[in-house]
Amino acid sequence: MLSPERLALPDYEYLAQRHVLTYMEDAVCQLLENKEDISQYGIARFFTEYFNSVCQGTHILFREFSFIQATPHNRASFLRAFWKCFRTVGKNGDLLTMREYHCLLQLLCPDFPLELTQKAARIVLMDDAMDCLMSFSDFLFAFQIQFYYSEFLESVAAIYQDLLAGKNPNTVIVPTSSSGQHRQRPPLGEASMLEGVEASLFSQCLENLCDRHKYSCPPPALVKEVLSNVQRLTFYGFLVALSKHHGINQALGALPDKGDLMHDPAMDEELERLLAQVPGLVNSAPANPEASCLPSRTPPRVGSPWRPLHHARKVDAESDGSTEETDESET
Amino acid sequence: MIPGKYRSVSGRAANNVEFKLNKETPSFSGRLLQHDLERNYSSRQGDGRVISPSPRNKSSCISSTTNVTELCGLEMKTAMSSLSAFGDSSMQTPSKSRIRQGCHSAGPNVSGDHITLASSSMPSFPILQRSSEEKILYSDRLTLERQKLTVCPIIDGEEHLRLLNFQHNFITRIQNISNLQRLIFLDLYDNQIEEISGLSTLRSLRVLLLGKNRIKKISNLENLKSLDVLDLHGNQITKIENVSHLCDLRVLNLARNLLSHVDNLNGLDSLTELNLRHNQITFVRDVDNLPCLQRLFLSFNNISTFESVCCLADSSSLSDITFDGNPIAQESWYKHTVLQNMTQLRQLDMKRVTEEERRMASVVAKKEEEKKRESHKQSLLKEKKRLTINNVARQWDLQQHRISSIAPNQDGKVSDCPQDPSQLRGSTVSAFPEETGSLDSGLTSALQGLSVTDTHLVEVDGDTLSLYGSGALESLDRNWSVQTAGMVTTVSFTFIEFDEIVQVLPKLKIKFPNSLHLKFKETNLVMLQQFNALAQLRRVDQLTVDPQGNPVVNFTLWKYYVLFRLSHFSMQKINGTEVTQNDMIMAERLFGILAHVASSELPQYRLISILGDARKKQFRYLLETKGKKPGLVNEENSDSKRLVGENTNRATLNYTTRDFYNARLEEIKEKKKFCKMYMEDLVKEATEINMKNEALQKLWPQMFIELVRDAVIEIRNKSSYMKLCLQQITDQK
Repeated sequence: MLSPERLALPDYEYLAQRHVLTYMEDAVCQLLENKEDISQYGIARFFTEYFNSVCQGTHILFREFSFIQATPHNRASFLRAFWKCFRTVGKNGDLLTMREYHCLLQLLCPDFPLELTQKAARIVLMDDAMDCLMSFSDFLFAFQIQFYYSEFLESVAAIYQDLLAGKNPNTVIVPTSSSGQHRQRPPLGEASMLEGVEASLFSQCLENLCDRHKYSCPPPALVKEVLSNVQRLTFYGFLVALSKHHGINQALGALPDKGDLMHDPAMDEELERLLAQVPGLVNSAPANPEASCLPSRTPPRVGSPWRPLHHARKVDAESDGSTEETDESET
Repeated sequence: MIPGKYRSVSGRAANNVEFKLNKETPSFSGRLLQHDLERNYSSRQGDGRVISPSPRNKSSCISSTTNVTELCGLEMKTAMSSLSAFGDSSMQTPSKSRIRQGCHSAGPNVSGDHITLASSSMPSFPILQRSSEEKILYSDRLTLERQKLTVCPIIDGEEHLRLLNFQHNFITRIQNISNLQRLIFLDLYDNQIEEISGLSTLRSLRVLLLGKNRIKKISNLENLKSLDVLDLHGNQITKIENVSHLCDLRVLNLARNLLSHVDNLNGLDSLTELNLRHNQITFVRDVDNLPCLQRLFLSFNNISTFESVCCLADSSSLSDITFDGNPIAQESWYKHTVLQNMTQLRQLDMKRVTEEERRMASVVAKKEEEKKRESHKQSLLKEKKRLTINNVARQWDLQQHRISSIAPNQDGKVSDCPQDPSQLRGSTVSAFPEETGSLDSGLTSALQGLSVTDTHLVEVDGDTLSLYGSGALESLDRNWSVQTAGMVTTVSFTFIEFDEIVQVLPKLKIKFPNSLHLKFKETNLVMLQQFNALAQLRRVDQLTVDPQGNPVVNFTLWKYYVLFRLSHFSMQKINGTEVTQNDMIMAERLFGILAHVASSELPQYRLISILGDARKKQFRYLLETKGKKPGLVNEENSDSKRLVGENTNRATLNYTTRDFYNARLEEIKEKKKFCKMYMEDLVKEATEINMKNEALQKLWPQMFIELVRDAVIEIRNKSSYMKLCLQQITDQK
């Protein structure tokens, strides 16, 4: 609260910018919705729980899409929840279609728009053959970029189209910026023959964009890094590169590294416990009698690995790496 | 000539005719009886040389040849009729021996006897001559039986012959008899004749016996206008033809030929008996054009339906018929159908038709008729059902904007459906009287069976309740009888939006508590979460989701999700496949974490609100049904409690239909708007207070100093200050 920025902005704007208002509004909204129930166990308790769940990222479960995408934190939480819940699907090695992934998303967020899923699939499939099967990890990372940076990507797409058409996007978007240096673009015909746009030019435009973009965007340094490796690139090429970039994933902080994607020991343990309860499973049921009782609601998981996400990376990298590689080869 | 006495009472029924049969009956009458009546009881004799044992038949047979007998001077006795039934043994024997004698004497090798057969002027034909003695004795008949003749001999000087017998020879061609113009009776039984010929001059011929020959075609009978009896049994005839001019013919025997059908019978106005046994006849026509036909023998043919012989029903004269040995006779309906359609029959398959049988037949026929009407009604219903389903399908397709895509697979079905829905519009068919035993009478009987309208269809078939079209869901509101409701174990939904089904699931649960098997086809199941809705049911053992119109089935995970989400039902079959334990484990492995996360990581307030939704929904339905059956409500309550208890970690995964969800989103939006305003005000107020507070904090040190300074200045002059204070006190008083 006492960061220097605070002093630069009026209080209200500051709160809004930090999405505090969003959560406060939502908290009141939730309170309103269940006021009978909540009043029974205390409004203070409710607020505590609410903000705790926001911190843990569990507040987005089964919420409406408008709320889920409202803040970067919500988006990251959703990504994480998705990973956590359906990691097992990926672990099983199933390749699924875009529609099926969409269904999984809808299990967590009933009104999740198909459009976003489609866009994510487009990144994986490089804009064609939309009914192809995708591996879980491919989809997840592409989805992460698409979902988390969706506004940013829209702007990027606009810039890309402008570049492709031979227009200088900066002149369109920011008329006052230094436009003279971009004037010497190759004519349209040549550009379309070469496919894609020149990386350096694109990079410059994106840098500009990152500067003024009010939504979250990937760290400019990393974007630059992605673009510095190639001469020319297409829009989807760029997105694929973004989705596969470790640094961006890390900066985003919602998902583990690719190598650790299938790794979640706490949940695996939980799963084993659940499997022991499958009705009709005779051999293992009597083995652990304490597990046979219904899973009691555990208190809020303080130890939920939100911060220490990148801890276990080295521990189990090779075992899970193998599954992940086969996934890639199949795609 | 033997004097013959014969009393034929014309106009009387044939069986009343009496004959006196002379002991010295010449063979021909016996023969006639023998093979003209080829109606053998197969048991008796294989090839048709049996005389009917029935006295009526016999006598009538004789009657048909009365003219001959008369002409030949035969005396027949009625008494003989019983005897003659077995003509071969009793009646035949004496005459035969007699004739045989004659035959012997006529043998060509026996010379110097009465008859001499000698080859003479004509090189190839033997010439027959009889002694004058013989001639006088048997002036009008000549018997050349078993003479090993290969050709007809030339018979000279016998122009007055009336009876000629060539039985049992090897004659291949009829010839040399054209001069015998007074011939009345010609017996060529058992020869090798291949073609009917050489008879054109025998205008007075009345009896022609050609049995057991090799004739392929009925022909060259044009001039034999007086023919009375024509026996062609045991030949190779395939077709009845060239007989229409035989208007005096009374007996026609075509048994043991190769006929495949019967027609061309026009013109045979006197025919009373037609023998067609042992052919390959499949159908019979024209019999109704035979005004005198009384006896028709169709045994051992290939008739399998009554329709193929239905013309028989139109014949008013027919009194005796046989069908034995036909496929038709094996049918259960055979006897009563025949009797019902041919009331004029007196005898069927050689057995007298009794009144009892006739009555039975009419009763059975009535039943049959009823059954037919019922089945017609059923098929009408079926057709209506089919049309309705087509109609529903079309509407569904329209609704789904898939008109273009249905063309290939449903074209045939749709196209033959009449284009005017008016035919079906508003028509409600209620039927199945057997579906009774309900509590409320009139209404339920109409509802229980089949109710068809053009937009939807509800059908109860055994244990299956089938619903087509969204309108059918309304039927769940009806008062189903306890019996029907209890019987239904399978509920099938077709052409109904799943979201609409979801809304009636609580009703389904109450109205059909035993439904264990749910079938979905063309219900727009597209999402896994839709299966959540099924969790609220009481029990589901089997689930069948047809891939048609349910894209969700294309997902590799759908089955596991169903197993996972509906695990509390311990389902046995999904889409007809047995659920294995491995499936259960796999389902848990795939989605167990989801459930765990949903239950354990969801904040308490959310858990309450999500579970609360489900509870509220049920509550709403209960309010609707309240007052009707309070007991049920209680049960429902405990049920919902149990449901919640059973899968706490899964209950959070529920499905709200799109409309409902959208409504909720709207609601949330409203609330959000309010919250936003409220928070805005609050925050503004807070920030203002904060600002004031900060400003105060900033001003406070200065203010404090100022205050202190003022106070010090005020009390600097002690005496004047004291005075001032005193003054103030007094002023107050």
